[in-house]
Amino acid sequence: MFRKKQAKQKPDAVASALITIAGKENVLYLKEDLLSYECDGYTLERGMPRAVVFVRNTQHVADVVKQLNALGVPYIARGAGTGLSGGATPRGGEIIISLVRMKRLLELDLENRQAVVEPGYINLKLTQSISDKGYYYAPDPSSQYACTIGGNVAENSGGAHCLKYGVTTNHILGLEVVLPSGEMMEIGKSGVPDQPGYDLLGLLTGSEGTLGIVTKITVNILKNPEGKKTALAYFDDIDDASQAVSDIIATGIIPAALEMMDEIAIEGVEASAYPVGHPRDIAAFLLIEVDGIQAGIDDQIDDILTVCKSNHVRDVKVAQDEAERSMWWANRKMGFGAMGAISPDYLVQDGVIPRTRLPEVLTRITEISRKYELRIANIFHAGDGNLHPLILFDARVPGESDRASKAGSECLQVCADVGGSITGEHGVGIEKSAEMRFIFSDEEMRAQTDIRHVFNPDDLLNPGKLFPEPGRCVEVKHNEKKEAAASIN
Amino acid sequence: MTTSTIEAVVPGEQIKESETDHPLGNGGRQIIQAHSEEDISNVLQYANEHVLTVNIMSGGTKRGYGGTMKEADILLSLANYKGIVEHSVGDLTLTVRPGTTLKEISDQLAESGQCLALDPPWPELATIGGIVAANDSGCKRLLYGSARDLVIGTRIVYVDGRVIRTGGKVVKNVAGYDMNKLFIGAMGTLGVISEITLKLRPLPKYEGLSLVHFPDGGEQKMHDVARCILDSMMEPVSLEVLTPSISEKLTGERLYTLVIAFEDQEKAVIQQEKWVTEHLPSGVTQTILSEQEASEWWDAFRHQGPNGHNDDPDATDTQAALKLGSLPSDVPANLKIAEELAGVHHVSLEAHGGAGHGISRVYLNGFPEDIIAFTKALRSAVENKHGYVICTHLPFEMRPAADVWGEKPAYFSLLEGIKQTNDPKKLLNRQRFVGGI
Ligand SMILES: Cc1cc2nc3c(=O)[nH]c(=O)nc-3n(C[C@H](O)[C@H](O)[C@H](O)COP(=O)(O)OP(=O)(O)OC[C@H]3O[C@@H](n4cnc5c(N)ncnc54)[C@H](O)[C@@H]3O)c2cc1C
Repeated sequence: MFRKKQAKQKPDAVASALITIAGKENVLYLKEDLLSYECDGYTLERGMPRAVVFVRNTQHVADVVKQLNALGVPYIARGAGTGLSGGATPRGGEIIISLVRMKRLLELDLENRQAVVEPGYINLKLTQSISDKGYYYAPDPSSQYACTIGGNVAENSGGAHCLKYGVTTNHILGLEVVLPSGEMMEIGKSGVPDQPGYDLLGLLTGSEGTLGIVTKITVNILKNPEGKKTALAYFDDIDDASQAVSDIIATGIIPAALEMMDEIAIEGVEASAYPVGHPRDIAAFLLIEVDGIQAGIDDQIDDILTVCKSNHVRDVKVAQDEAERSMWWANRKMGFGAMGAISPDYLVQDGVIPRTRLPEVLTRITEISRKYELRIANIFHAGDGNLHPLILFDARVPGESDRASKAGSECLQVCADVGGSITGEHGVGIEKSAEMRFIFSDEEMRAQTDIRHVFNPDDLLNPGKLFPEPGRCVEVKHNEKKEAAASIN
Repeated sequence: MTTSTIEAVVPGEQIKESETDHPLGNGGRQIIQAHSEEDISNVLQYANEHVLTVNIMSGGTKRGYGGTMKEADILLSLANYKGIVEHSVGDLTLTVRPGTTLKEISDQLAESGQCLALDPPWPELATIGGIVAANDSGCKRLLYGSARDLVIGTRIVYVDGRVIRTGGKVVKNVAGYDMNKLFIGAMGTLGVISEITLKLRPLPKYEGLSLVHFPDGGEQKMHDVARCILDSMMEPVSLEVLTPSISEKLTGERLYTLVIAFEDQEKAVIQQEKWVTEHLPSGVTQTILSEQEASEWWDAFRHQGPNGHNDDPDATDTQAALKLGSLPSDVPANLKIAEELAGVHHVSLEAHGGAGHGISRVYLNGFPEDIIAFTKALRSAVENKHGYVICTHLPFEMRPAADVWGEKPAYFSLLEGIKQTNDPKKLLNRQRFVGGI
């Protein structure tokens, strides 16, 4: 899309301008240094940035943005690069504005249950640094040891405990942003709720870095629950496990987490660095956690065990101590990476369905797996119907990347068909932009791009993301990916 | 194709001439009742072609909330566009038309043991469309959140008649921009909400309510108790401060009162009430209500303040309502300041505010000029601490002087840009919102 420049030993005019603003130590422009910025956690599509600038403060961001506007050069904000849809991936020739060096915890106001962080602050660090005071930050993506809160805001990230506590947007109280005009804005000043005016906080959260660059975030923090219990339930039939999920919700309990893994996923996690010793011949397990006031916990877990038993559970156990609980969670949270132990490559999908349609959707995913002759593991947030089919493939085998991508797309079509969504937490990015058509009409997407235009009129901030280019259908996308994959190998 | 007369757009029996001169304004020279989404779309398309302004109303409880135009060309009534479209019990989701009242929704959901966790006042009058458009909420938002946490999808009729879906029907969804958020609290200035999909909860298994009264001069103690609970592992659904005047009406005690509510398994509620008792300082009194009493108490609580239909035209006094937003920790002090200013400005005041969520409500009675002077004084005090004051109910004539929304935010140009994008001719609820949008 943008003309690729050959990296030179000397900084070009753009890199020189960046060096003037941020200093030499904060700018990368040599080709070998730029390679690791070719893509994020979604590796099927790549593009070379022109340079990377590590901003140190809001003023840097504003100055860089103004400078790039003047030069007409496109740019992308980037956090840890763990995104799974290509949100931080260049189309070619953009400047990457990396926020990872803006990583301080700025304020902690326990009285108002608020913390103010810089965008490069790592998600898990927040919980770690307030846990001694009995507090934590609820959104817990499995990548929380690496991903930044700025990236979480951009993607409106979720996690295992979002069933009860909500996703990122439910925990953001204020943002400082640099707009594509270079202006700095404070939205949701001091964390005061319901600011008069349209809800820009809500609009910016989940906008995948296309409306502004977040430079400061006020988040809501929570007090640790008094009690917590975690159960692991093994099922011989995946339909029984699905039914148990619905029945648990029907008892009137909202578990803190309700996760499911199927047979292939279990094979993967057991082969990984965090095995639990799950039986290898089961069809699925549920990992269920309840938390809250201690006095109510035992009754809740008893009700859950009863539901599991009435759904023919083979075995169900409650974690005996924190060590056992942590082991179960590590096994679950490392689930994506664990697929590396049983397959050279994997593609993570992220569809959402109404919870009650789980059995039929799983059946259709099995059919897709057969059709494309690729194994598909399922790890998902069953409680809120957020599926992560993991399509296992080998990029070295000609045609497999393409088949994987098609199978992924078809899984999303199934989700759309049952009234669901093409993404629950990983975002659209480059990867799913064509699939936006599965759920939105052109007119509806235009209503959204019209809003983008208000913030980002020249489309210099993260261009070519989220929305399909006119006329670009899923088929065209697959052909492009095929070429991209071929050029990688 | 342009349509020449409104009669060609909706059946004649859905069109009425306006009532004259409503004291709350926000009327229309012609009242058109929509019975379907198609009606809404046709009326808007007609208005857009003929450049006619349109006010939007359902239950009318917020008729006194903003608006400096006495009437628009058309008043589009959604009161008859009501009913539940789909209640998916297993998915805990509900799709509903905008004219449905909150009470109708709650009654229907209760049959399946579920609820919509929104508790604004006047549930039998307030419609879900109005609640969402005005982002109204109640004290239980402390635990359950507000409309922005519960709305997962909408259908919006744009001013040119396009019907645009935002969000979806699933509880987790990040496909595209979170467009739902734009319409929540936009006071109908960006489009007409023709359908709303919401996340539900199971009905709480048990509800506990304690009223804790603080003796005169005990405001600091009250602040400390609220902080102590918030810093504990207890999980109150509300921690609402009542000023003595409203407390007298609702509890019989003319004292600062903290309303502490828990909703959980019975054992968990009892345990938390016990915890609270053990942590109260000396000199305060706690009344624990039975479940039945608690439900009656909340019912009374939710019938306070103006509702768009209870202004007395013959009274010498005027009634008004304000919404304050502040840091949660500033709520007790703000209410105290409001009480003092009420004395200075000779208005009578009843107020309550969430010590854990930061939204306070102030109900006033007095002469118009006193209410305006009071509002200005309170606004400057609250703004000093980064808060804001909005007038959620005022007679039409008083709105310009009271300045309903206060100062424009620094990013006002973005708000204008969004308005310009969705409604370039500024036809929908003109001048109803921040900065005259
Ligand atoms: C193993 C693994 C597990 C994961 N598990 C989960 C999970 O459970 N739940 C979940 O939701 N996600 C999950 N993810 C996805 C990913 O971690 C999240 O999307 C995360 O929020 C991305 O953060 P990041 O800092 O890496 O952002 P990046 O990948 O660097 O960027 C993501 C997007 O945000 C934009 N962006 C970044 N910073 C800013 C900023 N300051 N201002 C504006 N825009 C910005 C970028 O332009 C890009 O569009 C997982 C990823 C991996 C690799």
